[in-house]
Amino acid sequence: MLARTGATLAGGALLLRGSSAQAQSNVPGAPTPSADTGRRNVKQDWQRPGMPGRDYQPVVVPNGSKLPWKVVDGVKVFHLVAEEVEHEFAPGLTAHCWGYNGQVHGPTIEVVEGDRVRFYVTNRLPAGTTVHWHGLLLPSGMDGVGGLNQKAIAPGETFRYEFTVRQSGTGMYHSHHDEMTQMALGMVGLFIMHPRQPVGPRVDRDFAIMLHEWRIDAGTRRPDPNEMTDFNVLTMNAKVFPATEPLVVRKGERVRMRFGNLSAMDHHPIHLHGYHFRITETDAGRIPESAQWPETTVLVPVGSTRTVEFVANVPGDWAMHCHMTHHVMNQMGHGFPNMVGVKPDGLDAKVRTLMPGYMTMGQTGMGDMGDMGMAVPENSIPMVGGQGPHDYITMGGMFTLLKVRENLTSYADPGWYENPPGTQSVAATLDELRRDGIDVKAPSTADPGDPTGSRRG
Amino acid sequence: MRRSALIALTLLASGCASIQKERGHAEVAALVEERLGRKTRWNQGTPEDAEVQRHLDALLKEDLTSDRAVEVALLNNPALQSTYEDLGVSQADMVQAGLLSNPTLSGSVGFPISGVGVSEHEFSLVQEFVDLFTLPLRKRVAQEQFIADTLRVAHEALSTAAEVRKTYSEVQARQQLVELRRAVLQAAEATADLATRQREAGNITELDLATEQASAEEARLVLAQEELALVEDREHLNRLLGLWGPRTEWKVSEALPPPPVQEAPLERLESLAVRQRLDIDAARKQVSLLWNALELARSTRYFGRVEVGVHTHQDADGPRLFGPTLSLELPIFDQRQALIARLEAQHRQGERRLVELSVNARSEVRAARARLLSLRMVAERYRQVVLPLREKVVEQAQLQYNGMQIGLYQLLTAKREQVEAYRSYLEAVRDYWMAHAELERLVGGRLPGDTSSQPTAPVSTEQTSSEQAAHPSPPQHAPQRDGAQPTHEHGQAPGASSPNGQERTNSPGTRPATENPHEHGQH
Ligand SMILES: [Cu+2]
Repeated sequence: MLARTGATLAGGALLLRGSSAQAQSNVPGAPTPSADTGRRNVKQDWQRPGMPGRDYQPVVVPNGSKLPWKVVDGVKVFHLVAEEVEHEFAPGLTAHCWGYNGQVHGPTIEVVEGDRVRFYVTNRLPAGTTVHWHGLLLPSGMDGVGGLNQKAIAPGETFRYEFTVRQSGTGMYHSHHDEMTQMALGMVGLFIMHPRQPVGPRVDRDFAIMLHEWRIDAGTRRPDPNEMTDFNVLTMNAKVFPATEPLVVRKGERVRMRFGNLSAMDHHPIHLHGYHFRITETDAGRIPESAQWPETTVLVPVGSTRTVEFVANVPGDWAMHCHMTHHVMNQMGHGFPNMVGVKPDGLDAKVRTLMPGYMTMGQTGMGDMGDMGMAVPENSIPMVGGQGPHDYITMGGMFTLLKVRENLTSYADPGWYENPPGTQSVAATLDELRRDGIDVKAPSTADPGDPTGSRRG
Repeated sequence: MRRSALIALTLLASGCASIQKERGHAEVAALVEERLGRKTRWNQGTPEDAEVQRHLDALLKEDLTSDRAVEVALLNNPALQSTYEDLGVSQADMVQAGLLSNPTLSGSVGFPISGVGVSEHEFSLVQEFVDLFTLPLRKRVAQEQFIADTLRVAHEALSTAAEVRKTYSEVQARQQLVELRRAVLQAAEATADLATRQREAGNITELDLATEQASAEEARLVLAQEELALVEDREHLNRLLGLWGPRTEWKVSEALPPPPVQEAPLERLESLAVRQRLDIDAARKQVSLLWNALELARSTRYFGRVEVGVHTHQDADGPRLFGPTLSLELPIFDQRQALIARLEAQHRQGERRLVELSVNARSEVRAARARLLSLRMVAERYRQVVLPLREKVVEQAQLQYNGMQIGLYQLLTAKREQVEAYRSYLEAVRDYWMAHAELERLVGGRLPGDTSSQPTAPVSTEQTSSEQAAHPSPPQHAPQRDGAQPTHEHGQAPGASSPNGQERTNSPGTRPATENPHEHGQH
């Protein structure tokens, strides 16, 4: 992650040396500045290209990538290639997805308010496609709705989109042709627009995270775009826990987190442990400071972005996840019968005469599912989690960790946090119980909700 | 085989006492043995019968195989024993035909009523004369009748053997089907058990519980039906084997063998049937004897009764006279035209019946062969494709269960469907063997290339792994035993060459249209 950040910091110039950057300048039929780009009517309304480090602090995209660019005649030129991508959601679960430039999701685009941007979009998919620049202010003919604003880009064709960035904040991009299929297969990405002049307090770490949901039946290799409600792979930057990269922060740094949600059907209440944050931006821009509320959960609706900021002043390993409980599960079988509380004695033996590998499961819930080590269908991952420092973490899906440490020399994963003595929950000792008059065998008690009740004391 | 050789010797030794009586049966036995490799025995209430009874007990004490069942039936089937008696009747007729008609002695004595004169007496001895000329022909007709009867009896024995084989296959399959039904019940009970526990935990509705319990009860009743069918199949076999009392406790532990890897060459079955089938042979003999009877009638057409004799006569006071007598019937009105016409009609009728029998035999063989091949295809498709797929379904269902993608209900449904597929497979194999026995019956003996009509039981009943011909592993709890791989020699089967016929290799498609359907029809 650090390496990628470093590369970004080095700026577009570094990336321009890539072969794709070379190829872009030779795209046949590339328009001359005088071609019909709409700019005849706007007359040089853009500014000089904003440069990383000088004009903005680049964002960090955990598990993700960024779209390279080069400057041609003061215009930032990008090349997006829509194509099929073999994507690993977590070790053990790989699928044929659709994305951009070999990535799912598509690489994050990063620009500065006032930049003139030109996107060449090449379609290497077997179907037509378009790109819609979600939340961006631009001419109608650049909005990318297939059939409405333009003809769909046929397989093999390259289209050009060009406009001036007139805003700052977090936008997105995604296919707007046969969206149900193409977005369900992963054709979405983030579009970060930095302000030309700094707004608000300077941030040290600026994370960009795309939320998405998929249906991938255990044992299959392609997301099912026909699914409407029953999603079983919930991702942050197209990864599920435990494959999500942690968000590493030095203690005391100011942290920004940008969330975009292009799920098919679900909003995601993203909850951060250990901190209060403020929602500083929606997809339409900055929220006045007077209107910012302290929160621990930010609801990111479908088709929206939300940005939160806070100062990371408490070290530790902090969970951050969607609070919809099914969204922190992996490929769960939603038709699995309710086994909670079922007493399996004798049943196992009976069934084993027919099915030698049988073991009753789920009678105490699903917490044990991740580490039972039983054979499961190929290309599927356990319903929950991964190993933590103290035990198995019984969460998966849209779950990641914020790792705050003192004296960091790099943003590489620092490992598990060691709690200072006395700051971690452990089993109570008998002495403690005796000292505090706790009888673990006594019936549990509760006071009446009405404080005038008689049982108090 | 060694045991049957032993009993053959015993029978041969015991046969000497009544050699004449045994003659017809010896031919039946030879015909049957030639075609089945098993001896028949006609129990005639002799002390040797006890030997047979001991042999039967020995046969039944061991595991009953298809071949042993056939042997028991040939020795003990009551209907067959009663058919054997037909030979005695037929043979009596033959002996009768070989005897000259008895001479007639007649005499008269006359007494004078008035007291005057002396008594008068007359004696004569007269022999029907034509007999002397017609006797050989009559004997030949009677002999042919006897041979035809012998063939018919042997045919009966073969039919019984085929019936026994079919019923044996049914019993064999039914035992395995009962086991499979038990497995289905087990799955249904496990499902109902789970539902009960889920209901106790408060997780499912009364409706869901009742539904699962009802399914389990249905599985129980289906098992009961299958168990009854097993009893009925066993009783059918008991009737065919003529068994009662403790002898009905025979066991069949050999599993239904899979169809042989290769089918015996079936091209010349039609001509084989026409050549080898004993009922066709009997019909052929019948035609021939009717012809001879006709010849007999024709040759004696103008002979009336011819009686030759001597007579003595003494008149009152006269001398005693002695001399030959001749009495001639004058065939003026009755020249046996009615008898001859009747015999001619009967002869033509016999010929047509022979044609009908032959045409039908060919057709039946073709139909039975088609059924055999079709059932074989079904069984192989099950074995090579369906069962491995069902096994995979269960395997994958287990993985999906492990991943908590599906529950126990779906897992057990997959298991049940696997068992059902195995049941269909077994039924196809059973039907294959029944069709095999039927085809043997229609061909009148073993199929060419079969070294035995059914693969014999392996010495060890343990499954030999990865044997190509073996059944795929039956689902849990189904019997694991398999038949050994049958061997196939494509040489001539023992019953394939008949004494009077050369091998004909016409295939049905290339047979000239003018060919006589019964091939060996003769006058
Ligand atoms: Cu969620």
